[in-house]
Amino acid sequence: MKKKYKTKFPVARIKKIMQLDEDVGKVAQATPVLISKALELFMQSLIDQACQETRQRNAKRLSAAHLKKTIETVEQFDFLKDVVANIPDPIEPSGGGGVEEESESSKPTRSTRRSKTSASKAIKDQEMEL
Amino acid sequence: MSDNERSGAADDDLSLPKATVQKLINEMMPNEIACAKDTRDLLIDSCVEFIHLIASEANDICERENKKTIAGEHVVAALQALGFDDYVEEVDEVYKEHKKQQKERDRKSTRLENTGIAEEELLRQQELLFAQSRQKFEAQQQ
Repeated sequence: MKKKYKTKFPVARIKKIMQLDEDVGKVAQATPVLISKALELFMQSLIDQACQETRQRNAKRLSAAHLKKTIETVEQFDFLKDVVANIPDPIEPSGGGGVEEESESSKPTRSTRRSKTSASKAIKDQEMEL
Repeated sequence: MSDNERSGAADDDLSLPKATVQKLINEMMPNEIACAKDTRDLLIDSCVEFIHLIASEANDICERENKKTIAGEHVVAALQALGFDDYVEEVDEVYKEHKKQQKERDRKSTRLENTGIAEEELLRQQELLFAQSRQKFEAQQQ
């Protein structure tokens, strides 16, 4: 195994977070371990791509705006649009702007767990039709 | 677990520990770029969203298979379904390693069963040892 990182995500905490979703029941021991690995890959990917934006702007600090731009550009990160919705857009030279309300993309998106029951049923219904 | 760790934290505020994520961010960032504090918090939120995303999809896949427990296979399938195919190879490696380690753990815990001696015989041997030490004790009393 190519373990590059010294730090690890806490597996027990991941399981607890998973189980905040009322639909999630029992979870095999391996499951949060695998999610931990996927999370590593995800975070590295997000950081790598956001830093590209940082470099493009000749900045030394990874800012919220860089992260937002990355999330809006990369399809894999569509599900994060709500996370950065409040961030003001960076000043684009070509005058792009405004938050795009694309909550219905082809990939299933998950609304926050606080509005879980009705929203998740709605998403599940959508998925049945796909 | 001490009460101190739980006081004030409602279930809904459950997130990943800041210090741990900060350490990981430091390991993952390029040397010449720093991470702003509010960006770190956004990264934490992003991670939590990712967990929910995968968990939810894995749960759906699990239910479709009429299983009750979300297994590793469901996680891998979820990654593929959600467009994270590039993660599958490494996650699979972790899964294989985990299964191997679990086999080792199971093997170790059944070592006593593997002595090849039947339970009756073990009980007889135990009684014999007790009788012997009783005799020694009584001998000492005289």
